[in-house]
This record gives sequence, structure tokens and C-alpha cells, in this order.
Amino acid sequence: MEATQNATVVKMAHLQKSFGDNEVLKDISLTIHKGETVVVLGKSGSGKSVLIKCMVRLLDVDEGKVSILGSDIFSLNRKELNLLRMKIGFLFQGAALYDSLTVRENLEFPLRQSGKPREEIDALVMEVLQSVGLEDAVDLMPSELSGGMRKRIGLARSMILKPEIMLYDEPTTGLDPITAKEISNLILEVQKKYNTTSIIITHDIQCARITANRMLILNNGVFVAEGAFDELKKSEDKLVHSFFE
Amino acid sequence: MSKPVLNKMTEPLLLSKSKRDAVTLKNKNDTLKGMKAFFTEVTSLTFFTGRFFKELFQPPYEFNELVKQAYLIGNKSFYLVAITGFIMGLVLTIQSAPTLSQFGAESWLPAMVAVSIIREIGPVITALICAGKVGSGIGAELASMKVTEQIDAMEVSGANPFKYLVVTRVVAATLMIPVLVIFSDAISLGGAFMGVNITGDVSFSLFFSQVVEAVDFADVFPAFIKTFFFGFIIGLVACYKGYHSNKGTEGVGAAANAAVVMASLLVFIIDMIAVQFTNLLINY
Repeated sequence: MEATQNATVVKMAHLQKSFGDNEVLKDISLTIHKGETVVVLGKSGSGKSVLIKCMVRLLDVDEGKVSILGSDIFSLNRKELNLLRMKIGFLFQGAALYDSLTVRENLEFPLRQSGKPREEIDALVMEVLQSVGLEDAVDLMPSELSGGMRKRIGLARSMILKPEIMLYDEPTTGLDPITAKEISNLILEVQKKYNTTSIIITHDIQCARITANRMLILNNGVFVAEGAFDELKKSEDKLVHSFFE
Repeated sequence: MSKPVLNKMTEPLLLSKSKRDAVTLKNKNDTLKGMKAFFTEVTSLTFFTGRFFKELFQPPYEFNELVKQAYLIGNKSFYLVAITGFIMGLVLTIQSAPTLSQFGAESWLPAMVAVSIIREIGPVITALICAGKVGSGIGAELASMKVTEQIDAMEVSGANPFKYLVVTRVVAATLMIPVLVIFSDAISLGGAFMGVNITGDVSFSLFFSQVVEAVDFADVFPAFIKTFFFGFIIGLVACYKGYHSNKGTEGVGAAANAAVVMASLLVFIIDMIAVQFTNLLINY
């Protein structure tokens, strides 16, 4: 059991990414083990979202390697990449719900080509909706949902394939403090229920406090600090300290 | 002595040689940049078209989305196409009647209007309306999906957004625009019948028999075939502009606008090629 929990799930080595002359990621190396919840904290424009997008090959890197569940994602062909992506859930900043589809159709979307029978798909939809507490929203359109509800449905959609890894891109951005806390607690619940490995990109210190096993601080394209929430809170480094003020 | 008035036309003539050289160099650089942008766009669109044909024949197929898009394109454009088609037939007839009557050829009016509508005006006007209605709709929809990361979300869920969004819309436009053109032609002929009866008195059976007599296979078939190309180019350009949009919400408007302009221009170019090709075949 201990060995399984210590298995390396994500390994990034010397990652570099630039947009023109702008070096966004300079030399990123990171190893994440199964069951961990790692929070990457950083200011706006520090490269957090670029980092998480490189992890699922939404962006290509200039240098370095990313290994997810033992596969080097930049050497996979399209079919292999899609199979790997089905083991990864991704909650986007704005939830990225498909505007023209109902909540039910949004949730069913990742299952379209799975060949599962109708009853099983319906059961999965209701299961993930119950997990996020929004069973009644099943037939609503995304435009009828509040910001917090959209995030919950986005989370439900990313959970429907029972992924081994969950990536959260600014899960609490744009929400009021109460809803932000609810979403942070929900992330924690989901992590416990499905035993996923989670990587959360945020600048919300409350979200980090609730969810993180381990925190990393990204600044100017490099990790400048790493540790548990309480360790970093005690740091005397000016930049690290500024996040806790 | 009063100071000479400078404007943009006279100013360069009064510049020193070094300044004139700088202006010339800037103009050359702008031209080169424009040419580079044009060839980059053409290359990118060519690769996009290549990917479309590659994905078109590879399973899995998105039949449900194809049917939905075909319904949306056909149903949502039908009334617009019907109204414009009717007006087109009516106006063409009313405008042509005085000229034909000067030559004592009023009886040729149904035949002349029918050939004009079926060969040229019906397909081109309907395609232009669809370039505006369908092209802007698809361009804005895909651009908005791109900006709000919905396309990225499809990609990371293991789906193929190109197949789901692009292939279905291009095929739907290719299949539905010919259908809309057929409707438009029929309604235009209805408008023409009304136009003929404003100035004269022609029964429907006489009007219909004159139309059928005037129009032959060489009029209908090439005109029908080119509508598939119109549909294809409208769908393809709209998807291309939407799929490659950027610059946030500003990019959504720009994508919709560019989709309409480029698709309309390409409709005319395809029409010109189709006419030349048809003439060559007929003469051969």
C-alpha cells in the first residue's frame, strides 16, 4: 500500500517554455506522488496556467520532459495521448462548459465514444452530480448557472471518467469567499472519495490552506519555495511571506 | 509670403533624400509583411483543408452532431433565403420587363428570368446570404469556444474537437446550401410569376411550361454542382477563422467578420472558375 502511494504519477524535468522573447517557464522540475495534493501558488502572469497546460500537452514545451503515469507525453501519438488524457481530469478557470449543450449533455460528452449502455451513462451522470450537490441542475443550460454552479458542474464533468489525476486551473478565481471556500472543500472531498492525485494552480491562499499537502511557489518561471502550508507560512522570505499576508 | 500648405500628396516630394529613402524602405517592408501574412494564411488554410479531408474519412464519425448542424443550417437560414429569393425573382422580373418590351420580346420574360435565376443569381445570392448568416454564426461560435477554453476542454477530455466541431459543420454546410439554393430558386420563380402578372396576365401553367422549355440540363446541372463548392468553402472558411481566432473577445468579432468577407470573396472566385469550366465543357 505504501509503495503504491509513493508511486510517481507526474514527473517534470527541466521544463522550458517561451512565447517569443518572453521566457515563461525557465527550468521547472517537479515530481508528484500518487494521492498527493500539490498546490502551485504564484502571482498573475507567473506561468502557472502555462505549466498546467504543458502537463496535458495543450501547449508544447521548448525543452524538458513531462512524464505522466509513466508515459512521456511529448512522444505519444494522438491516439495514445487521448487515452492518457482520459485518465486526467482538468477543471478550467472559467469551467469551460459547452454553451450549446445542457448540463446532462456536458457531463455525457467525455463518455460519447465509450460504448457504455444508456443506463450506465445516466447512473454515472447522477453519481457525479450528487458528488457536487447539483442533481437538480441536470437539465439546465450553462447560461442558467451561477459562477459557483458552473465550477461544480465543470468539476463533475472532469470527474466522470474517474481520472487518476486532477488538474485545477484557478478553481476559486472569480468566486465570492463563501463559494470559494465551498469549492475548496469540495475539491478535498472529491480527492478523498476518488483517491486522485491533484495539482491545483491558484493564488488563493485559503484554497491552498484547505487543500494542499505540499505547496510550491512559482515566480518568474522558476519554483522559489517548496513545503507544507505551515512551513511556508513561517518563511521569512519576502515573496513567500507576501502570499500569507 | 505665405507658407505652402502641405498635405499627404505633396509632403513626400518635399522630403530630403534620406527621408524619402526611409519612406520607400518602410513601404517595401509593409508590402513584404503583407505578402508574408497572405502566404502564411494560404498555407495555414491549405493544411486546415488537408486535415479536414484526413479526419473526414477516419472513424469515429459524429453523425448526431452532423444531423444537428445540418438541421440548424437548413432550418435557421430557410426563412431568410425564402424571403430574399422571392424578392429577387420579383424585382428581376419587374426590372427586366420594360427592356424586353422595347424589343417586343415580353413573351420571353419567364424564360429569361428562369435561366438567370437557375444559372447564376439564385446560387450566388443564396451563397452570399449563407456566407453572412451561416459563416458569421459558425465563425463566432467557434471563436467564442476557443476564447472560453471550451475547445481545450474537449481536447483534454480525450475527444477530437476538430472532428466534432469542424468536420461536422463543413459537411453540414456542403450538404445544406445546395438544398437551400433549390428552395431559393423555386421561391424566386414564384416571385417571378407574380412579377409577370403585375404587368400582364400569364397563367401559372403557361409560365411553368415556358420556364421548363427554356431551362435544360446544361443550365441546371453545373449550377447545382457549384453550390456544393459554395457550401464547402463557406463552412471551411468559417471554421478556419473561428478555430484559429485569438485576442480574447475582440477576436470573436474579428473571426466572424473575416469569415464573412473571405467566404463571400471565395464564392465569387469559385463562381468565376465554375462559369469558365462550364463554358469549356459545353464548347468541347
